[in-house]
Amino acid sequence: MSRILNTRLSRLSQFGFLSLLALFIATPMLIIVVFSFDANRFPTIPWGGFSLQWHQAVLADSMIRDAFVNSVIVGLGTAAIATVLGFAAAYIDYRYFFRGKTLFGLLVAVPPAVPVSILSMAMLAFLSRIGLFGSREAIIVCHVAIATSFAMAIVRLRLGKFSRDLEPAAWNLGASPFATIFFITVPFCRPALFASFFLSAAVSFDEFLIAWFVGGVNETLPVRILNLLQGQVNPKINAIGTMVLIISVALVLIAQRFVGFRATRATSSNG
Amino acid sequence: MTDSIHVDGATGSRRAPASRVGSHSFMPVVLGAPVLIWQLVFFAAPLAFLLVVTFWKVASFKLEPAFSFDNWTKVLLSGPYQKALVYTAGTASLATLLTVLVALPAAYTIAFRLSPKLRNLAVTCLIVPVFSSYLLRIYAWQIVLSPEGVINSVFKGLGGAGLSLLGGQLALQIGLLTLTLPVAILVLVLAFSGIDRTLIEAAENLGCRRSKVIVHVLLPSIRNAIVLAASTAFILSFGDYVSPLFMTGSNPPTLSILIVDTVKSGSQWPRASVIGITMLAALILVFVAGQLLTRTGKGAQ
Repeated sequence: MSRILNTRLSRLSQFGFLSLLALFIATPMLIIVVFSFDANRFPTIPWGGFSLQWHQAVLADSMIRDAFVNSVIVGLGTAAIATVLGFAAAYIDYRYFFRGKTLFGLLVAVPPAVPVSILSMAMLAFLSRIGLFGSREAIIVCHVAIATSFAMAIVRLRLGKFSRDLEPAAWNLGASPFATIFFITVPFCRPALFASFFLSAAVSFDEFLIAWFVGGVNETLPVRILNLLQGQVNPKINAIGTMVLIISVALVLIAQRFVGFRATRATSSNG
Repeated sequence: MTDSIHVDGATGSRRAPASRVGSHSFMPVVLGAPVLIWQLVFFAAPLAFLLVVTFWKVASFKLEPAFSFDNWTKVLLSGPYQKALVYTAGTASLATLLTVLVALPAAYTIAFRLSPKLRNLAVTCLIVPVFSSYLLRIYAWQIVLSPEGVINSVFKGLGGAGLSLLGGQLALQIGLLTLTLPVAILVLVLAFSGIDRTLIEAAENLGCRRSKVIVHVLLPSIRNAIVLAASTAFILSFGDYVSPLFMTGSNPPTLSILIVDTVKSGSQWPRASVIGITMLAALILVFVAGQLLTRTGKGAQ
């Protein structure tokens, strides 16, 4: 009797805890979206009534439009290059053994773990030395250096399910290594490649410190937001935020759809 | 590089004709060179250059190559730097502790108590925030916590006094947990999901209560994941720039704040570089310590 009660109580507190946590994670996003439709200038309670004026103001703002265009170009460029490089890195890790392989893997995998405050300073110092500072291309090359890590991880996971005998079979039948990769390996990795593309785009679309440092006058959307945040309270921020959130969330969800990433597990247990 | 490359797992490739062996050794170079060069030029070189700059001098607002330890002694011995280091390390440690304490039970519930459908939904809900708009989410917390913000207006509406929520360790930790929790929980959910169920059933059949199963079976088997989650949380919160900027208004400053302020405000590049390099050194130290912890774990088992 008391054992059952204990179990019930324990379950209840576990689900309660999880709900609180969900609230903690969801609240910031909901706040942005809800207050972007608020007629008040200052986001607080009580709500000032439904209004689309801030969204309209955002669409009419030419600086925000320019920033959006920059973000799209940087995001697409980053996604395309990072996916190709990430595939190459993952394939090399899957297929070959050579001296320094661990170092090679680290060089691709580690960048996201380095704090961007340090990385952006280093990249700015270096890029301005080699004359690549202040352009969209500068932002792209830096974002690629980070996003390739995610692309490699996704493709490598997929290659883990790729039979090791398929490629040698193709070679024995006379296919060149290039043809084998192009006609057998790449098609097998297609979902992972799409996922890498969208996730890399999301990583680039979300990054602002490096873009702020190396982009010069070329503001991306998050850099524009950062600059607005450092000024006065601006009700437009929630409206841009809503648009940015929708785009990032969509990119991540599409990426996740392609890999079907799941926490699989066996049968349930009790207690 | 080419002479030491081996094709892995190729059953017939070792006996392949000479011409194809040639292109096999060519392949990794063609594929690998672009990635290698890209990461070397745009990731490794900037960091290496940062290290070099720490020894340079600033003369009339311009960087000049030199070899002096001036910047190192100036920064390492300066009060503001030492204070910021202690503050940043303390804040990051607290954030790491809180992250693990919250993430462990949450991951346990997600992995063992949710139906497969709900579990996948939870995983999705955790992946999305990892890649979307941390900056915006911190701004949202500012709206919630500010003196005229959501919580305070509710509080005042109920007749309470205004609370000053922004600007302290509470607000800062809320911001940092926003960053660290989703990643940490994901790592732990994956680890819990990978545990062999028969282990748990065996323990339960032998009369182990759930709490004992958790302490003696579950936690030891995900030890590496706990270390990974903790070191990730530390790395993220130690280097974070956004939460200290918006939740505490850069006061007191963290090391990241010092770096960005120094770079954006003027010419003291070498000193900012010293701060950056010491931060990297600290993070590498933490990471290596974590790895050693998992090694000894394996040895003891």
